[in-house]
Amino acid sequence: MTAPTVAAPRLLPWLLRVHRPALYVWTGLLVLLGGTLLWLWGPLTDAAAEAWRQYNACATGGVCRYDQDAILRYKDVYLYASFAVLAVPFLVAAWAGGALTGRELEHGTAQLAWSQGISPARWLTAKLAVPAALVGAGTGLLVLLHHLTWSAGRSRVDNTKSWFSTETFYANGPLVVALALAGLAAGALAGLLLRRSLAALGAAAVAVAALWTALRFALPHLWPTATGVSGLDGGPGYPGLLVDQGLVTATGAHIDNPGCGSTATAECRELFDRLDAVGYYTDYHPASHYWPLQLTATGAVLAAAALMTLIAFRLLRRRTADKGAAR
Amino acid sequence: MTDTALEAAALGKRFRRRWALRDCTFRLPAGRVCAVVGPNGAGKSTLLALAAGLLAPEDGTVTVLGTDPASARARVGYVAQDKPLYPQLTVAETLRTGADLNPGRWDAAAAERIAAGGDLDPKARVRSLSGGQRTRVALALALAKRPELLLLDEPMADLDPLARHELMGVLMVQAAQHGTTIVMSSHVVAELEGSCDHLLLIGDGRVRLAGEIDDLLAAHTRVSGPAQGSLGDHTVVESRTTGRQLTALIRPTGPLSDDWRASMPTLEELVLAHLRNPDAPALTPTQTPSPAESGSGAASGSASGSESESEETRA
Repeated sequence: MTAPTVAAPRLLPWLLRVHRPALYVWTGLLVLLGGTLLWLWGPLTDAAAEAWRQYNACATGGVCRYDQDAILRYKDVYLYASFAVLAVPFLVAAWAGGALTGRELEHGTAQLAWSQGISPARWLTAKLAVPAALVGAGTGLLVLLHHLTWSAGRSRVDNTKSWFSTETFYANGPLVVALALAGLAAGALAGLLLRRSLAALGAAAVAVAALWTALRFALPHLWPTATGVSGLDGGPGYPGLLVDQGLVTATGAHIDNPGCGSTATAECRELFDRLDAVGYYTDYHPASHYWPLQLTATGAVLAAAALMTLIAFRLLRRRTADKGAAR
Repeated sequence: MTDTALEAAALGKRFRRRWALRDCTFRLPAGRVCAVVGPNGAGKSTLLALAAGLLAPEDGTVTVLGTDPASARARVGYVAQDKPLYPQLTVAETLRTGADLNPGRWDAAAAERIAAGGDLDPKARVRSLSGGQRTRVALALALAKRPELLLLDEPMADLDPLARHELMGVLMVQAAQHGTTIVMSSHVVAELEGSCDHLLLIGDGRVRLAGEIDDLLAAHTRVSGPAQGSLGDHTVVESRTTGRQLTALIRPTGPLSDDWRASMPTLEELVLAHLRNPDAPALTPTQTPSPAESGSGAASGSASGSESESEETRA
């Protein structure tokens, strides 16, 4: 045939040119949020630690002088930064649905690319691979900074969030990176399915919200729990992520807690006696379950992302006359 | 190198319930300039998108430059009806994109020459361009990849007569110099007359006429005569009676009797007569005589008494 195309299309310059605004926004977001986390990690943690030192040195009774503002600023900035990290999957999904595929199919620029010599499958591969690398690296960096910041505060700042509080758990590990990648896949798929920018933007954000909701229900059951037993007098305690709680009977059976209250009252003691209860049990995840939980959940979310990616490729192949098409 | 640029066999495409294109069979030899004509919504855009490998057919096959549309992608140029371009890029960036995506084929000089013809500022954003300027940039993208087959969907729709004339000239030069096969659709016949040597008339998702324009015109005769006259075995595409006078467009199957005054129809008359009479039998050259094709014309009503609807028009 004539003019054999030896050279491969230069996809990266094309992609960066077409999605330049997104690249700028993503860089800006990383700088802003990364800078905030560094500020929190350094000066704000130091100031809050110093304020707690002042507070803990105060004598009981009398006036206590300590820098309360530093403690509150630390708490606020930490929460805002955590929520900002958690917003990344939604932003990625909305962008992917709206701009990456939805707008391209709505305005026909996807078809323009396909008639410029790159196959639809190659187009989608490039459109997923380059953003996935940038989103993965960027979100990974944010998560790392968040984790380092949280670790730095844990031993010095008394109001550092516990490892299992929702926003800290999600923003502290690879799970949010997986969610961001799932958001990318969900957005790309929504754009291909709906072929309209705005609809795909909304659908992708809703898809991430649904995935997250499902994850929140499933998460405690992704790893076997530890069980602690405590006496009736002390009341139940849970030194970690609580999963289930109730009463233990003399035979060792776990039954529901009738919610009577403390054994100090005669009625409750009578009720517990009737139920043959000897103590409280607590199913929970101790701190040592942090990584198993993070990694299994990350794996599950990545599997969902891979499934959505597969569906997107199948859909594109079936719709266009691409090689290896189903029909 | 195959001598067939585009070939469809029982090609069909359905959008939800509606068939946009059905049972479409034709063959376009390489080097032709082919007009795809038909009313709005006839299936012209669907046919071109199928040939460009942007849509997958429901039925049948389409062969492009001797292979499937996906394999021919690099050798085919396509400009969609609404001339999609990235609005945020400048003209120069758009052309650079074409160079990035077509390494080894890209003719940068040709791209710039076509774009420059329209007084285009290379730094202008695509979103600020007029319809005609957009068409120019879209054509530059499609032509600079040096396609062997160029598919243009309503290329001249939003151009003023001057730009239309000029761009048509660019296309004709391309066809003459590089032997590029050009397929362009339009619902305005006059727009294509004089530039095209091959016709594909599509109505209601089906091929109504296909072949060399000269052959198609030669196969038809415009006759007039007394209203009570008989047209015998000739295939009647359209007939009208005004008072005692009958005028008809027919495909003669033999010599005409002396009662009739005969003349050659114009291309526009031929197209309009077929579009006004959807029941008239289709005229498409058969490649291999197959029973599948004889069903494509629905010979019914007053249109035809004969079943000779698939006639050979080209040697």
